[in-house]
Amino acid sequence: MNEKINKGLQYALAELEGSPRFYIWISALAAMALLAGYALLASIVLSMEILEFSIQIPWATMVSAYAWLVVAGSGLCIINGFGPVFGLHRYEMMTKRIAFLSVTSIIFGLNYILLHLGHPERAVIYSTISPNLRSAIAWMGALYNVYLVIVVVEFWLLVRSDLAQRAEQCEGLKRTIYSLLSLKKLDDSRLGRFLNESFIGRLLYDPRVERVLNDPRLPRFFGTLAFITGVAALTMLGSVFAHTESRALWYGSYYPVYFLISALFTGYALLLTVTIISYRFQGDVMHPQVRDLIIEMSQVLAFLLAVGFALTAYRIGTSLYDPFRQAPVMLLLTGPFSIGFWVFEVGFMSVIPAFIFVWASMKKNLGGVLLGSVMVLIGAFVMRYEFIVAGQVYPNIKEGLSTYLPTMMEVLIIIGVFGVFLMVYTLGEKFLPLKEGELPQGPQENSKVLFLSN
Amino acid sequence: MGRAKWHRKTTHRPAKTIGRRGFLKVLAIAPLYAALGNVGIAHGETRQYGKLVDTERCIGCKRCMSACKRWNGLKVDRYELITDREIDLSANNWVVVNLRIDAKNRSRKTYEHWACQHCIRPACAGVCPVKAITKLPGGPVVINENKCIGCRYCFQACPFKVPRFDFERRVTRKCHMCYNRTPLLNYMKPACVAACPVGALRFDYKHSIIKEAERRVHRRGGSSYIMGLTEAGGTDMLTILPTIPQDLGFVVAPNKVVNQNLDKIRISATGIMAASVIAGAMYLYAEKTRDHDKEIHERED
Repeated sequence: MNEKINKGLQYALAELEGSPRFYIWISALAAMALLAGYALLASIVLSMEILEFSIQIPWATMVSAYAWLVVAGSGLCIINGFGPVFGLHRYEMMTKRIAFLSVTSIIFGLNYILLHLGHPERAVIYSTISPNLRSAIAWMGALYNVYLVIVVVEFWLLVRSDLAQRAEQCEGLKRTIYSLLSLKKLDDSRLGRFLNESFIGRLLYDPRVERVLNDPRLPRFFGTLAFITGVAALTMLGSVFAHTESRALWYGSYYPVYFLISALFTGYALLLTVTIISYRFQGDVMHPQVRDLIIEMSQVLAFLLAVGFALTAYRIGTSLYDPFRQAPVMLLLTGPFSIGFWVFEVGFMSVIPAFIFVWASMKKNLGGVLLGSVMVLIGAFVMRYEFIVAGQVYPNIKEGLSTYLPTMMEVLIIIGVFGVFLMVYTLGEKFLPLKEGELPQGPQENSKVLFLSN
Repeated sequence: MGRAKWHRKTTHRPAKTIGRRGFLKVLAIAPLYAALGNVGIAHGETRQYGKLVDTERCIGCKRCMSACKRWNGLKVDRYELITDREIDLSANNWVVVNLRIDAKNRSRKTYEHWACQHCIRPACAGVCPVKAITKLPGGPVVINENKCIGCRYCFQACPFKVPRFDFERRVTRKCHMCYNRTPLLNYMKPACVAACPVGALRFDYKHSIIKEAERRVHRRGGSSYIMGLTEAGGTDMLTILPTIPQDLGFVVAPNKVVNQNLDKIRISATGIMAASVIAGAMYLYAEKTRDHDKEIHERED
């Protein structure tokens, strides 16, 4: 038994020895997770009140972090639509990374909201057995659950053959895990045969593909489903805020639309940041096609930032003449939230990165793209925070609070959950086949064998 | 003539069947009714109960607050029951009494008895994701504390900012019009009403409450304002105020049902339309740049 443990330890150390950076990175993330664990424990033992800076503002930092991360994940789902739905082959290079990043960001984003709930366990039970169809939160939760299941199936179908290959190359525990993940035995099992001979099997029959599960059209089908459910879930997330007639800043048709646009640009920013950092971190050379795609994406991102800025300007401009909405908007323009609005929302999130992206795409400079994307992410977080907090300050607190900064415990939980998210993504990057392959051969003629050609 | 009359009487016309045309009419009207049904006619139900607050009679003794706390087992902060300090609603204060000064006439002071207004069409019940909030047939809007998940969406939706989060029980709590105390048919009153020493609070059938409020206002010369007849589409708690609620610094709800279903559908539909526009833009982008894929291949070859 001891020998086995020793062997396992040596194996693990040998894996880590080659990359001290990886070791340091994971330790830092684990420390962040521990801090979050401490804050969570304190909130359970003492009172949940330590996670709120004002009882009048019940949705604050945690909900902002939730909106930020989940909306970025949903934006990735829309971006992923370019591959399977609209058939752009250069985006399909990145499908696996986008799908995995989307799943992890949405799962950990949902964790923020679960930690914010008074009784998360009841949420799981009662949203299943007695959902309120008039409530946007119920629709949002249900749609995100469906979306997650669909994307996980899509991702699994995409990486299945790679996992099987890896299982053959590895030994020991790794081999077992990889073959379990790829469900290699499923093909020859009764279920596999049943799938082949079932209605779906006959419908998808293609003489070039032996089994239904290996059919490249299947992940495309799931990709399309994921696009539809993801967009619907995102619209419902915007509606959660937009339905509340008692909150002048949130109410109206504007926010479901703005959530879609902001999802696109935060999704692009998250994808570019993660991709560039992971290449630099591992010291890998980026394939020129991937590089070209990243530059192209940064151009699209600059355009989206301009669209988002135009929408914001429209909203602010029209609200100034609307007696119902003037007061909360003035909070953003000249009130306690003005620094966040002008510096972060206008500067960090819209104007500066747009110029950086234009410059970086002219110079083909990935460092510039990375800088701009990180700025967009930071600006978007502040934007969500201000939108959510200022929306509640206007009708709830007449005289205003002295500060609107989050408490230390809130910050610890936010950092910790984000740390676990990064940890899971890093492990996925290391052990799952996420890296961009070459562009599939021949966009028109050979598209059927797209996903088998890795 | 007589014969014709007789003939008309005896003609057999089955009154309770429905023809094809009638069926189609019903089919066309039913969804419209389902959609518009939530507009509702305020104060239409006769078996509904209501609470009347007459602020012009209130002396600010706060016995209603202490009775509420005693009946519902809520925590007592001893200062809040003996001072005129402003007290906010909380998980342990389901009813508050605060001194209000008329903004237009500073010498006029009124005590405000503030609690859940028990809307006829409650916005909180419409947004609760797990149906933990229900409007009982008698009138009270009640939160099921064993079902509440603590998301606080009801607080965001409430036009009166009433439901408050209890950090210890981790659920949202508010006044439930003592539905558990009031086997309403036995005519027991809610704790606050029973405790009021000057008759500023009254509990009765809704229609007689409205009549009583109008009678009192009429007797005082008609300058008073009855809050709750139109606010948020009508509420089951009526408050007689010496002037309009805006001047007294009350939370003012719009004079219509808040968070109507049709409105929610309209807002979400805008999002879906925007999503289809975005999908169209993505399609155009994909079509415009499809050659780029080919170019890359040619370069590779």
